[in-house]
Amino acid sequence: MRVATDIGGTFTDLVCLEFDEKSGKPIGVKVAKSDTTPSNFEEGILDTISKGKIDLNKIDFFAHGTTVVINALTERKGAKTALITTKGFRDVLEIARCNRPDLFNFNFIKQPPFVPRYLRFEVEERMDYKGQVLTNLNISNLNSIIKSCKEENVEAIAVCLLHAYKNPDHEIKLVEELSKLFPEVEIIASYQVTREWREYERSSSTALSAYVLPIAKKYLNNLENKLKNKGLKNSPYIMQSNGGITSINDVKANPITMVESGPASGVFGAIALGKVINKKDLIVLDIGGTTAKCALVENGQVKITTNYKIEHSRIEAGYPIQTPVIDIVEIGNGGGSIAWIDEGGKMHVGPKSAGAMPGPAAYGRGGKNLTTTDANIITGRIHPDYFLGGELQPDYDSINEASKTLCETLKGSKTDIAKGIIRVANANMVNALKLISINKGHDPRDFTMVVIGGGGAMHGADLARELQISELIIPPHAGVFSAFGMLMSDIRRDYIRTNVLTLVQEQRHIIQSTFNEMEKEAIDNFKLDGYNLDDIKFTYYTDLRYVGQEHYVKVLLSDFNYDTPLETIIDFFHKEHKKQYSFELDAMVELVNFHLVAEVEVEKPDFPQMDITGKKVEDAIFDNKEVDFDDLGIHTTPFYHRDLLEPNMTIKGPAIIAEKATTTVVTPMHTVNIDAYGNLILTLQKV
Amino acid sequence: MEKFTLEIIQDALVAAGDEMFKTLERTSMSPIIYESLDYAVGITDSKGELLAQGNGVTAFLAALDSVVRASLEKYNEKNPLKEGDVIIANTPYAGGGTHLSDVSVVYPVFYKGELVAFTVNKAHWTELGGTFPGSVSTVATEIYQEGLHFPFIKIKSEGVLNAAVIDMIKVNVRLPDSTLGDLFAGIAAAEVGAKRVISIIEKYGLDTYKKAKNDFLDYGERMCIEALKDIPNGVYEGESIIEDNGFGEGPFPIKAKITVTDTEFIADFNGSHPQVKGATNLAFSGLVTGCRSLFKAITTPRMDANGGAFRPMKVVCEPGTIVSAQTPSAVSVYYEVMVASIDLVWKILAPLIPNKLPAGHLRSVCATFISGVHPDTKQFYIQAEPLAGGWGASCDHDGNRGQLSCGSGESYNIPIEIREMRYGIQVDQYAFHNEGGGYGEYQGGNGQYVDYKIVSDGAHVTAAFLGEKTKTWGMKGGHDGSYNYFMIIRKDGTKERYSLGTNIYLEKGDIVRCVTATGGGYGNPKDRPREQVLLDIKNGYITQKEAQEFYKVS
Repeated sequence: MRVATDIGGTFTDLVCLEFDEKSGKPIGVKVAKSDTTPSNFEEGILDTISKGKIDLNKIDFFAHGTTVVINALTERKGAKTALITTKGFRDVLEIARCNRPDLFNFNFIKQPPFVPRYLRFEVEERMDYKGQVLTNLNISNLNSIIKSCKEENVEAIAVCLLHAYKNPDHEIKLVEELSKLFPEVEIIASYQVTREWREYERSSSTALSAYVLPIAKKYLNNLENKLKNKGLKNSPYIMQSNGGITSINDVKANPITMVESGPASGVFGAIALGKVINKKDLIVLDIGGTTAKCALVENGQVKITTNYKIEHSRIEAGYPIQTPVIDIVEIGNGGGSIAWIDEGGKMHVGPKSAGAMPGPAAYGRGGKNLTTTDANIITGRIHPDYFLGGELQPDYDSINEASKTLCETLKGSKTDIAKGIIRVANANMVNALKLISINKGHDPRDFTMVVIGGGGAMHGADLARELQISELIIPPHAGVFSAFGMLMSDIRRDYIRTNVLTLVQEQRHIIQSTFNEMEKEAIDNFKLDGYNLDDIKFTYYTDLRYVGQEHYVKVLLSDFNYDTPLETIIDFFHKEHKKQYSFELDAMVELVNFHLVAEVEVEKPDFPQMDITGKKVEDAIFDNKEVDFDDLGIHTTPFYHRDLLEPNMTIKGPAIIAEKATTTVVTPMHTVNIDAYGNLILTLQKV
Repeated sequence: MEKFTLEIIQDALVAAGDEMFKTLERTSMSPIIYESLDYAVGITDSKGELLAQGNGVTAFLAALDSVVRASLEKYNEKNPLKEGDVIIANTPYAGGGTHLSDVSVVYPVFYKGELVAFTVNKAHWTELGGTFPGSVSTVATEIYQEGLHFPFIKIKSEGVLNAAVIDMIKVNVRLPDSTLGDLFAGIAAAEVGAKRVISIIEKYGLDTYKKAKNDFLDYGERMCIEALKDIPNGVYEGESIIEDNGFGEGPFPIKAKITVTDTEFIADFNGSHPQVKGATNLAFSGLVTGCRSLFKAITTPRMDANGGAFRPMKVVCEPGTIVSAQTPSAVSVYYEVMVASIDLVWKILAPLIPNKLPAGHLRSVCATFISGVHPDTKQFYIQAEPLAGGWGASCDHDGNRGQLSCGSGESYNIPIEIREMRYGIQVDQYAFHNEGGGYGEYQGGNGQYVDYKIVSDGAHVTAAFLGEKTKTWGMKGGHDGSYNYFMIIRKDGTKERYSLGTNIYLEKGDIVRCVTATGGGYGNPKDRPREQVLLDIKNGYITQKEAQEFYKVS
């Protein structure tokens, strides 16, 4: 059996794949959900395991994704952290990039650094930009630094020296000394976190890594022990933000790589599904309670970026973490997003969410605001028997109460307002979807859309129609798809290094030697986990730009090898630049970052196929009701139980397909086919 | 309900603005664009009413709609714009102009032969020729010394690039690749925006689009008037100075009289000093832009900018003053005068709305331009950038540290590691200083030192740091902050202190120390909690001596 567990903000999900002992074919999927237990995350996992009646002795493969890192950061529950840096530069972390995204608010408050000034120390040393030593490392004040740290009960130390991305010698030496003299604290240096330039971003990445290091290590140790005690034979694999899993030891050394593991696994689940059904170009949309996240997959690949920031918004600069994270756009629009009217009389939806408590007005728990979920109820798109997994009937009085102000201010009926909320929410999501597609030179019509999360299936059809995407897929278990994705992930590590060079023939050998060096690092790393060179698959990317530009374009070097001519690489770049920015220049090309992806394929199960028992599609209908499809009119619409659908069935819209964790809206312009894996495939009719 | 469709169109226009913004950032060749984000993009209707604007800095708020209107004056019914035309303009004295370095690209958008909108951007190109590298001089006396001047010319006519102009630019600037790169980035961004506007019209129809834009402008006006009610009605006056004109003359007074009613906001600068010899002049359109940014800060800071939100504001000033300069006065250091004008209105209004305006901040862009030949690549370089300093304390929080002036915004400092590779400069320190000031119940944010050591064989520095003799202002009993200045520390240890300087020669090993001010304090220092003062000492934000003297804490 293979098990994946995913800790989310509200729920901890578990997905278990069972196999037929003889054929080895997957025979079924077990799903369990329990409340997330923030004070003691591993308890939530053990709860789901017992809830799902899983016998850990029988588990061959256990994958795990956790929010422990992001929680420690956003709730400021990490360790007391100090920073040691180059003399003259301890304020880099606080000065940050000096930007003020809240442009016209002159009374803004800058976000404070994670390490206060009195815990930021300096040592004498200096490298130049070529990585050559200008001033030797002088550790004569190390003892006084340690003394201050002890007085202040420091638990973790970050080390970040100027130009260490180019030459980490001084960092290595400093960490060596420090660990000898001060073994009781956790220590991490920038070169272990990132080998990219930009001293503020690197300092921030290292400081935040140190900040979460003790808590993450403790968590991982506890988890490993508890699972072992319950009978798990093999160490669990841990999901990272780059969409791959890795060994628990690897992630203990640099836990910040887990910072965005949840959304990453959802996207990789969609990629794995795409492989099975032969769809390689996907737009993946995950709509939860508070946010919607989307990512674009081209030819089975999703972009990895290190331009990641936490607590970044249109009004706040955020804190950068240079760790490989899949390129996701996230907006404050989910099922619980609140509709509100500003001083000028304009209605907005989100980013404020009603959350789980009090939740949407329909929950009847005192929620006074109308949310997207309420709008879907008013329009008849959610069946009252399937509301909140059938646990609750919508509270219509509460909905009426919550819509009053909106109706009066906007002078419209409750239905008008509900349709307006859905339109505005959809428009927000369309803008996010455009950011990852059209804005990057992709035509959404060339893609298949996969929607997951509790709210994805509710809005997917409208969004696909708006973007003229002809095919939309709603996989089974869309509500727990992140956990599902972990079962389909490979072991993956990303190595990124800044080494700026102009692409001219004399420099070609540096490309080779740098990649060779990085390969060696990867191989050494994988050896620690018992893998061999033969197991590892390498993929090569470079970040390229025209000389003089600052920003770069990530370019996949397909079939890169020793003989790949420079012209081919340059040609890849011109094409990619033209695609993204609609022009190319007759200028020199510069390489900024080397990016090596090292993967070890994990033996993965097939997606379980669904049996055909000869059920009749009509028998799945449990109700007929009026549903308002906005511009497509009001229609008497059949409601289907998803559980009673099976492969090869076809349903013509309008229709609503209900299941416990979500509801699929099929507009009058869509037709649904159920494929061999139980996916709902919605096709847009040509007008 | 149609209402929601209109709002969705408005949001789509704003999203198109964001997209243009990204395109320009990511393709430009000037660090001052892609790091300092010293540019703005926007969409106007066919008459030049601002519909959406994406900003990197606060300073271009009147730039985009005005440049479109000025273009329409030149290309009127007798000489109408055609599909495929693209205009460039950098005239400082008209059409939202600032200084020559800021070049606008104006792109008329046609739908089925009808002019329906303009997409437009304005960006600071690092090099446009002129007497000194970076096209900025504190000793220019006429605009002719400040670089190439494009008086609303067509860079493209019906889709065909004007090769003659391109050739002219190429031979008249010091970094032709960068300059032309910025031009093409500007055109590309405008094209992207034009495509989006057309797809919006195709989807919703021309009539609905027009309705949406008018509705949007009215919405902006409503939001603004609502916010104006929070400012007490009255007439308020104040005065400030521009200390120096680059020739050791000054100070020159600027005066402002602000009239606030429920529906109007009038900023009258009559009585300010006549325009001066030197480049510390601001043209009237720059003054309007400055006033708009302050006005926005006190009315609708979080709303997407549109023309409607500026309808209640008027700026008045007779022509020919230091804040309404006329041709051919030099204006390349306009930004210092603009920030001083913003600061003046700010200081006049802050006591009325302390929840929106804190005490005085560094009040200077502290821009430096260092040029030379890179020791390794042997390429000519110009390092141009604004510097961060301290902001004033407010009625409920301490002043921010390490922030650029109010004229900047989503602008970034240049990372040391990138700077040292790109330019012949080594940074010796980047740190908060203890030059004193800003004491109060809430303490002003510390200013900072940035030390540039020259590692190329010779270099030149041009810089303007106003505030060398005037401290940032404190409020409600808070102390004034400190000064902006730059100091050259020669290899032999001699020190030269400057406020303005142009093309000062630097030898290898010389250090340029840039010093930015600490912000003003708010409230009486005796009301600052003791434990807060002790923490400030521990953090080194203030010294023990200062704590003793000003907070009576030891």
